[in-house]
Amino acid sequence: MHELYIAQSIISSVKKSLPNNVTADQVTHVRVEAGQLDAVVDETLIFLFDAIKAESGLSAATLTVEIIPVRCRCKACAHEFTLDLPIFLCPQCGSGDVDLLQGRGIRLTGIKADVEED
Amino acid sequence: MDIPVIRDVLEETNARAAENRELFDKHGVFVVNIMSSPGSGKTTLLSKTIPLLQKRGLKCAVIEGDITSTLDSERLRPLGIPVVQANTEPFGGDCHVGSHLVQAALKHFDLAAIDVLFIENIGNLVCPAEFYLGEDRKAVVLSITEGEDKPLKYPLMFRECKACVLSKMDLAPHLDVNIESFKENIRKTNGNMDIFPVSSKTGEGIEKWVEWLLKKG
Repeated sequence: MHELYIAQSIISSVKKSLPNNVTADQVTHVRVEAGQLDAVVDETLIFLFDAIKAESGLSAATLTVEIIPVRCRCKACAHEFTLDLPIFLCPQCGSGDVDLLQGRGIRLTGIKADVEED
Repeated sequence: MDIPVIRDVLEETNARAAENRELFDKHGVFVVNIMSSPGSGKTTLLSKTIPLLQKRGLKCAVIEGDITSTLDSERLRPLGIPVVQANTEPFGGDCHVGSHLVQAALKHFDLAAIDVLFIENIGNLVCPAEFYLGEDRKAVVLSITEGEDKPLKYPLMFRECKACVLSKMDLAPHLDVNIESFKENIRKTNGNMDIFPVSSKTGEGIEKWVEWLLKKG
């Protein structure tokens, strides 16, 4: 259930990212990217975000989660590939010595707020 | 309006981990985060590992993260080392040891008198893998009773760790398992993993694991 901790962290990150003229209750959309390797269950994360958002003042916010596929580069032959299964072997040369290019980490990537713009 | 932002959601926990790291560096403490499923033998492995480190003159300590009780701390008491229970909620609690729990536990240690600190994480192959605590190394214990497929089911754990202890090797003759398949599946998720087949009961393989712990870099 690390999703609960992540949901709390998303809310805290959103609050820290708001400019002075925007309040938490004006936030309508929150967007995050989660690496596929992080094994975040997006339905669970959204469910938990919805469950705790009101007490955090973000009651109008909807969370969208984009899962970022895992991409690797082979250190032996420099081939780059996307993983469909969690098998970190180069499909070109078979080496298991691969660097992760993307697909790990959770980032806040967008906030929308219902504010009259000047 | 769109508010432009790119922000690491885990920045708070990572900041606390960095503070832990600073303390470890200041006092020259080498820290190993030990993770596994429940019941794979983390505590027993530590109870066999620590005396070998003590024999080499190293002062050890343990942060016990496992939930529900202080049973694990009690099992380590005969070693005569400082053990701090990080999670004392009697009916369970967190799914992982967070950097804030480590930070709170560190207040109870005299870090200047510790060379090696083990963080025994909560038994769980999913959540603990996600969080950096400020440790030097992560290791996963996988008991051979758990099945050869586990590395493929919990890839983040096996990607994050530098070593895998294959525990309960003394049971191999009684089980329908293939040790080579364990190793193959571990290497499919992490081609650079150091693998140590170990029996805490017979002592098989413990020395090699201890050598890995002592290896610099």
